[in-house]
Amino acid sequence: MPRRFLSHWRGILLSLIGIVSIVWLAATDQLGLYIHPRYFVFTVIMSAFAMVFIILAFSFLPHRVGEAVEHESHSQPPRKTWVWSFANILLVAGTAVALLVLPPVTLTAATVAQRDINGSASSSAGNDSVVLVGADDSALSVKDWAGILRQGADEVSLAGKTPTLIGFVTPDPDDPTNVFYVARFVITCCAVDAQPIGVPVYLPGWQEQYDVDEWVSVTGEFVSNPSTDSFQATVLSPSDISVTEQPAQPYVY
Amino acid sequence: MNAAVGGRTAIGGTIGLLIVAGALTLRLVSPDDANEGLSDATLDFFTLSISVFLESLPFIFLGVLLSVLVQIWLPPTFFDRLLPRRPVFRRAVMSLFGVLLPVCECGNVPLARGLIMRGFTVAESITFLLAAPILNPVTIITTYQAFGWDHGILAGRIIGGFVIANLVGWLFSKHPRQSDLLTPRFDAHCQSHDSASESASKLRRSVTGFAEETSAMLPALVLGSAVAGAIQVGISRDILVALGSNPVWSVLALMALAFIIAICSNVDAFFILSFGSTFMPGSIVAFLTFGAMVDLKMLVLLRTTFTTGTLIRLTTIVGLCCVILGFGVNLIA
Repeated sequence: MPRRFLSHWRGILLSLIGIVSIVWLAATDQLGLYIHPRYFVFTVIMSAFAMVFIILAFSFLPHRVGEAVEHESHSQPPRKTWVWSFANILLVAGTAVALLVLPPVTLTAATVAQRDINGSASSSAGNDSVVLVGADDSALSVKDWAGILRQGADEVSLAGKTPTLIGFVTPDPDDPTNVFYVARFVITCCAVDAQPIGVPVYLPGWQEQYDVDEWVSVTGEFVSNPSTDSFQATVLSPSDISVTEQPAQPYVY
Repeated sequence: MNAAVGGRTAIGGTIGLLIVAGALTLRLVSPDDANEGLSDATLDFFTLSISVFLESLPFIFLGVLLSVLVQIWLPPTFFDRLLPRRPVFRRAVMSLFGVLLPVCECGNVPLARGLIMRGFTVAESITFLLAAPILNPVTIITTYQAFGWDHGILAGRIIGGFVIANLVGWLFSKHPRQSDLLTPRFDAHCQSHDSASESASKLRRSVTGFAEETSAMLPALVLGSAVAGAIQVGISRDILVALGSNPVWSVLALMALAFIIAICSNVDAFFILSFGSTFMPGSIVAFLTFGAMVDLKMLVLLRTTFTTGTLIRLTTIVGLCCVILGFGVNLIA
């Protein structure tokens, strides 16, 4: 029985746990917390194919017909096989807890600290000119504004712009007392490649009103950064900040 | 007798459906605050690890199903008719299999195992394994979309991938005992596979093959995902990115980034594009070539098949080749 678990059933059980998790995440519109939307259809289709094989496995495998792999672990002493089986049962149980018990969550500001915010040029080029010619900038996201600032736009070129941005709060590492970022993660493939982007907000003593990782909606205008410690030249001076719910799709692409 | 087997089949299928329903119920009744008390770093570890697992899982399924197709459904002479007999040309053609089978790198592992079980040499299988993630239409198109023909990045990736894969394949072909490159467990599996009963139906053998391959691959994927998640939480990327403008260190830094980030080769060009202004072209080519061939998650997956010594040699050779490729592109571009 332990040999059979190792050679056949651990893969079936891990597949089953993964597929149930994928189906539930897709059905509840939370698959985007882990992978880029371009993979949604492929992931669900492959899961459906695999589920057919899993159900067939429960039907066919108990009959022990033609499984050559049975020979492979005969050389292992029974005690070692039992220990190895126990370790694999723990692995399956741990996977079940991670995928079926823990609620899905987004990345936190702890990961922002690991990755240079606005360290990549994830924002598309060209948005700067779109803003300056007076086009509707209300549709621009945190990613767009972060890209515009990264391209060197200052308070003069952004005069009159009053964006409303939704993101989570993360401190500016250079002046955490006076400046925080309203931030989002940009995803290319899955959460593991997430790059934080954000727009700096100047608000002395912000920690007394808002928690790190709290989702906020910030409205304001761009000004020259009064902070002497922060490296950001232009910041948002907020006229209104309100705590808001995490959006259904917290990442940007 | 047939009625008894049919009954057992129906009971087995019903048990399977009940377990699926049980897993779904567990997911539905799990409380929303089940992660309360966990630190942010722990939460991010789970999020990162789960994202690697869920992103890779469908590719593993695709690779396993293609492996089953190769082993059980294709006629024994199918590849013999397609491939040249001379080993060098044979490996060269196999390194282009990715054009027909555009599976990303983690999906190629079960497929490469299937090729070995089908009778291909280890060297041929390694050539395919290293080349296919790069020399496939999806990767080439996304790399072109990201970089066009600028700085020789696309050409460097395609040519470098082809040359390195065939060089590594040629080196491993010189090993006098190919089976010594495999883990004893997988080698025994191949031997028993050769003498396996063919009396069972193809469908039954396919299901058995699916169970065997997922049992080999998925524990490794779980561990690989957990290690990748832990390293992402534990190692700051700032240090690597800070080395970007140095012609030597940028190559090594981006190769290290490729190793730990373990991103799919189909989209890695878009990821590294965002660092395009920070790093030199040669380092980007090294990232795109090395990361598609070797990374943390891949090594854990490959350990199901190859010995530790084989993987150390493979990683060292591929790493050195990518360093040379990166330096070369930096000199020319």
